[in-house]
Amino acid sequence: MRILIIEDEQELNNAIVTYLQQEGYSCDAAYDFKEASLKIADLPYTCVLVDLNLPHGNGLDIVRLLKENTPETGIIIISAKNALDDRITGLEIGADDYLTKPFHLSELNARLKSVIRRRNFNGQKSVKAGVLEVFPDSAEAQVLDKKLTLTKKEYDLLMYFVSNRNRVLTKDSIAEHLWGDHVEALDSLDFVYTHIKNLRRKIMDAGGEDYIQTVYGLGYKFAAE
Amino acid sequence: MRILTKTSLYYLLVSFVVFLMGGIAYYNIMQGEIYDEVDDQLFTDKENILAFIRRTNELPHVTSGVSETIVVKEITDKNPILESLTDTLIYSSYDEENIPYRRLTFAAYQNGKAYQYSILKSVMDFDDLFESTVFAMGWTFLMLLVGLGAVNYTINKYTWRNFYDTLGKIKRYSLSQYGPLQLKPSETTEFQELNQVLQTMTDKIHNDYLNLKEFTENVSHEIQTPLAIVNSKLELFMQSGNLTPTQAKLLEEMHNSVSRLARLNKSLILLTRIENREFKENEDIPMHEFLAEQTEQLQEIIEMHGLTVEQTIVQPVQVHLNRGLAEILVSNLLINAIQHNQPDGTIKIILDKEKLCIKNSGEELTETGRNLFGRFVSSNKRKDSLGIGLALVSRICTVYNMRPTYRFDNGMHELCINFNHLSR
Repeated sequence: MRILIIEDEQELNNAIVTYLQQEGYSCDAAYDFKEASLKIADLPYTCVLVDLNLPHGNGLDIVRLLKENTPETGIIIISAKNALDDRITGLEIGADDYLTKPFHLSELNARLKSVIRRRNFNGQKSVKAGVLEVFPDSAEAQVLDKKLTLTKKEYDLLMYFVSNRNRVLTKDSIAEHLWGDHVEALDSLDFVYTHIKNLRRKIMDAGGEDYIQTVYGLGYKFAAE
Repeated sequence: MRILTKTSLYYLLVSFVVFLMGGIAYYNIMQGEIYDEVDDQLFTDKENILAFIRRTNELPHVTSGVSETIVVKEITDKNPILESLTDTLIYSSYDEENIPYRRLTFAAYQNGKAYQYSILKSVMDFDDLFESTVFAMGWTFLMLLVGLGAVNYTINKYTWRNFYDTLGKIKRYSLSQYGPLQLKPSETTEFQELNQVLQTMTDKIHNDYLNLKEFTENVSHEIQTPLAIVNSKLELFMQSGNLTPTQAKLLEEMHNSVSRLARLNKSLILLTRIENREFKENEDIPMHEFLAEQTEQLQEIIEMHGLTVEQTIVQPVQVHLNRGLAEILVSNLLINAIQHNQPDGTIKIILDKEKLCIKNSGEELTETGRNLFGRFVSSNKRKDSLGIGLALVSRICTVYNMRPTYRFDNGMHELCINFNHLSR
């Protein structure tokens, strides 16, 4: 799967590329509007990450170009502007998702996977991780054919883990994924712990292994093949 | 008290004193004049009588009237009164009152016989003089009063009009809604100067404000990208497998601080954007549904804090707001109620046509409610709170001309948003 990252900040672009390469994607980087429009004309990408503020052009025009020429490509807008209008325009003209800078790479990864999954209708309907199987369409999960009863937050958490397999996830990024902007207000770090405890217990009760490891000092890691 | 009323009052006070003293002086001077005149006449009469006796060696015929009486008596006394001037009252049957007279008594000799002459001359009734004085002064004072009123009215209407106009404009002046201060030109020097100073001052303040705002905006926006870079590099760093526990701990602490900074920055950008009134599309928001929705979203967290929520929706209310801002408003109020609650506490939500009130149990604040809506004001207990939530609420209220109020009553904090003055 080929991903194009259009972001004029070289350092940020590099970081995204490195992270996604570790996930097993082939990544191309573009640093300005011209380079980006050449690259999307050249190759069919599975997904394109596009910054809205680009030298020599507007990211929204890239989105329009993509929609015209290769409508099957997934598009995620990343922007420093949390401008509501930009978000709406972006989503209206066909972007699949919108992320505001700064974001967690694990969050970007989860969103990217979700976009690819949604686009890839003909492919698999479920994501497997060890004996665990998650069905994104119905928001359900099962262990060894045994359905798990999960709350919405627990399902979101599981999906986040599964999308970021074998990655260290900080409590902070988990909390932000689950509660969004409310995160700083709500002692959410303690709640992360409670949710993980519950999720872990439910998976183990259903006969799964303890996939969720605590990484000392950093957070958690979902270790499953 | 208006300055005109004040000066007029002082003016009247001084006028009153002046008129009072003027009246007294006038009365005294008049009295003196009258005595002088009457005395002159009396002495003239005396001289005439004496001259007549000297010339004719006869006593003159004695005349008598109301205004003047001359009484002649033969003196048997050894020591006659040579000359004396006295006041006396004589009853007048016509006026039915005592009338003041001036009496000159003197002795005259004719053929070696002594006669005592008394000339009586009526003087003016001083009670009448007093009355007339008071009357005249009173009238003058009254006319002065009317004149003063007329002058004040005119000054107020024409000269001070510009001043009140300026005052009104300054009252309504708001930095964030800057249109240049357009003051009416005045012909009065003081007001011209005042307007000039105000104009220069507001222009300067406005420029400073713009600079500061621009600076804040730029800083906030420019910080986003470096933050994103630091954040992403830290995350990459974390993924490397061979970290020692100490390194991992350090890394996490760094990551947490960066995340906190990022969130803070996002909130500040949001705050600036609300101030800049960038959220323009308003729609009718069904507040009752909105509340239910937001409470639902926070339900889990509410339960985890062991709180109970009581919702009293008196009636469905539509409020004309921007959807995004309404969401921020409601969620921040709810989060505030969750955050500053106590274990097993309650949250009460009351919505009616006039206002939305969210009450929560909790300890009384040490600070007054005034500061509550400022930035970075948060209770000391909560280190992780940015203290920006209520600043957002207050800012949104300002944009829509709603009034947020706070009070503490019966162990409950109560925050209300009043929809009454909502600008449409």
